[in-house]
Amino acid sequence: MGEEALSRLRTTEPVAYLAPSPELSSLTRAASGHLYSSLLPFCPSKPPLDHLLSDQSFDAEQIWSQIDLLSKPLLPFLRRQLSRLEKESKLQSSLPGNTLKSTGKTKKDEEEEEDNDEELGLGDEEEGDEDEDDEEEDDGEEFEDKDEEEGEDEKGEDEVKDKAVEDKFLKIKELEKFLEDGEAEEYGLPTQKKKIDQDYQDNGNETDQDEEDDDDDEEDALDIGNLDDDSEGELEEEMENARYEDFFGCQSNKGALKKSSRKKVKFDDRPQINEIEYEETDDEIENKEIEYQENDDETENNKKNMSTHEKEVAKLRSKIEEMERANLEPKSWTMIGEVTAAKRPVNSALEVDLDFEHNVRPAPVITEEVTASLEELIKKRIIDGQFDDVQRAPSLPSKAPRELKELDENKSKQGLAEIYEEEYAQKAGLATAPISVSDELKKEAEMLFKKICLKLDALSHFHFAPKPIIEDMSIQANVPALAMEEIAPIAVSDAAMLAPEEIFEGKGDVKDEKELTGADRKRRRANKKRRFKAESAKKPRPTTDANGQ
Amino acid sequence: MELPSSSAMETDANVPPAAPPKPLFQALKPHEMSDGKVQFRKIPVPSHRFAPLKRNWMEIYTPIYEQMKVDIRMNLKARRVELKTRQDTPDVSHLQKCADFVHAFMLGFDLCDALALLRLDDLYVDSFEIKDVKTLRGEHLSRAIGRLSGKGGKTKFAIENSTRTRIVIADTKIHILGSFVNIKVARDSLCSLILGSPAGKVYSKLRAVSARIAERF
Repeated sequence: MGEEALSRLRTTEPVAYLAPSPELSSLTRAASGHLYSSLLPFCPSKPPLDHLLSDQSFDAEQIWSQIDLLSKPLLPFLRRQLSRLEKESKLQSSLPGNTLKSTGKTKKDEEEEEDNDEELGLGDEEEGDEDEDDEEEDDGEEFEDKDEEEGEDEKGEDEVKDKAVEDKFLKIKELEKFLEDGEAEEYGLPTQKKKIDQDYQDNGNETDQDEEDDDDDEEDALDIGNLDDDSEGELEEEMENARYEDFFGCQSNKGALKKSSRKKVKFDDRPQINEIEYEETDDEIENKEIEYQENDDETENNKKNMSTHEKEVAKLRSKIEEMERANLEPKSWTMIGEVTAAKRPVNSALEVDLDFEHNVRPAPVITEEVTASLEELIKKRIIDGQFDDVQRAPSLPSKAPRELKELDENKSKQGLAEIYEEEYAQKAGLATAPISVSDELKKEAEMLFKKICLKLDALSHFHFAPKPIIEDMSIQANVPALAMEEIAPIAVSDAAMLAPEEIFEGKGDVKDEKELTGADRKRRRANKKRRFKAESAKKPRPTTDANGQ
Repeated sequence: MELPSSSAMETDANVPPAAPPKPLFQALKPHEMSDGKVQFRKIPVPSHRFAPLKRNWMEIYTPIYEQMKVDIRMNLKARRVELKTRQDTPDVSHLQKCADFVHAFMLGFDLCDALALLRLDDLYVDSFEIKDVKTLRGEHLSRAIGRLSGKGGKTKFAIENSTRTRIVIADTKIHILGSFVNIKVARDSLCSLILGSPAGKVYSKLRAVSARIAERF
């Protein structure tokens, strides 16, 4: 009967609902009662009423309150089941062979539940003036209910499958959880920690989450505020923050994203390490992380309170403080002027990039070309004979080279006595100085040289050099100068001619015999006689006696 | 010897006139100076100089007997050359000179070199041994002797020529004949050679010294 009523309700045109009709109301009461009874076994906590009291006497309000009593615990349960079903459906899409059955079954169930949901939604609509929010809520609820139901069914089915694949290391649940978390991190979807919470906590605690969920439904798909906390206090705080940020819009979005992403980042690290102990210790880890997170959240909130200008000013101030602090502190060794090795840490000069002038030409890189060029140069120099030999500086002859007395290494030909004899003779002047062999040669050389010099000087008519005086006996031709002065020899002067006195001194008979006059002859004879007499008087003449003895 | 008496008499006025005239003595003859005694010199002849003595006997004998007026004879039995003064020996020193001359010949000097002793007064003979300079033994000694004489005797001749001396190297004994200064120079050169200096070094020193000596005279 209830099903008939449902089907009839479905077929009626929506226009008919505008006007109130008792037939439709009775149909709806019946349908709602049917739905109530059908949903009753699924409810985790039994409502006080076994069946819906939906007589004519009951008001819409009363009926609604009954349904509410039933649906309140049921809805979250269904929602969870739906989400689990979602996950399982994704998993099973990868796993071949399992999807077909499950999807087939799920589809059937979906259809059934869809009908139920629709009717539930319709019933609500008819009973009271619901806001659009409620409709949206219902839509969201329906979607989530579907998912949860699917999740339920899939869960049931999956339990059978999983036991074949799983062993002590691999657990499909953990795998699914990991995948969900990853996706949530990527897209910013609320993580499926709710499932875990539901598994381990009472439903009483989930009321807050229900409220959260309700709030979330109001907004976009990228839900925020699914702040997965374990303790109530923290949740409340964060709820407050979320509301504040919601008011301010995108700022809070980013912040929340950051937080959630950060949290999720931290959370994701753990399963890689402790996969086996995941389900048990996860709560503790979450607690710690959340505590650390809270501090960051607070500072971040403070920052968000400041405007951009304030932020810049704060940055500048921090910079200034830093610089002032640096100025007060003693400078690092690189900033001091001259630093000795004692003033800086050991081997610190190696770490710093020092730049100093290299006054040394860098060593040439020896390549084949360099070698070839060098060899060419060497060859050229050898061919030219141009060696860079060090040439002795020519010493200027300051004075004439002293005659070095040669040491005669032969046995002296003269005896010692003879040597002394010669020496004595030289001193006494009895004998001429014996000319040594070297002297003779020298004298000969000198003579030759002088002759040559004379001839050469004659070429220039003795303008600059006088005739050399060779002290030797030479016959002076008493030739008159006129005869000498002929073609070439202007060189000959009459200075070397004999002087008149040298020819004839003046004493004695000047006149020749032919020139003598009679008186001169007489005079000469008289002089002669006188001389003769004088000489004979000097000589003692032998006297002769009368007897001639 | 005999003072002119006239000068003595002229200067001395206070002398009493009744003094006998101073005697006039003739000059003493050389043999009278030694109280008419005859002096001898005996020079032993070493065996290695016996043959040269025999060869050069006439050259030795002639200047001694003729010019020095000293009697000379060879005592074959005692292997000695004996010298004796004669009556007409002009000077006592002649005997000594002849003795020195013969002795020099016995040491090993040439005749012409030893003859200078007869002629000149201020020539001497200086002898010393290698061991006086430096104690050398065995090969070192032989090498020192070799260093002294040089190759073919050229070092010795160089010293002789530059210093106007004559050198005789008789195994370890060295005799130098010459004037005093020259002997000193020659001895210094020889000593430096014994002590080990190279010949070139000795030559350079010789050159300097001989030039100085030549300049002086």
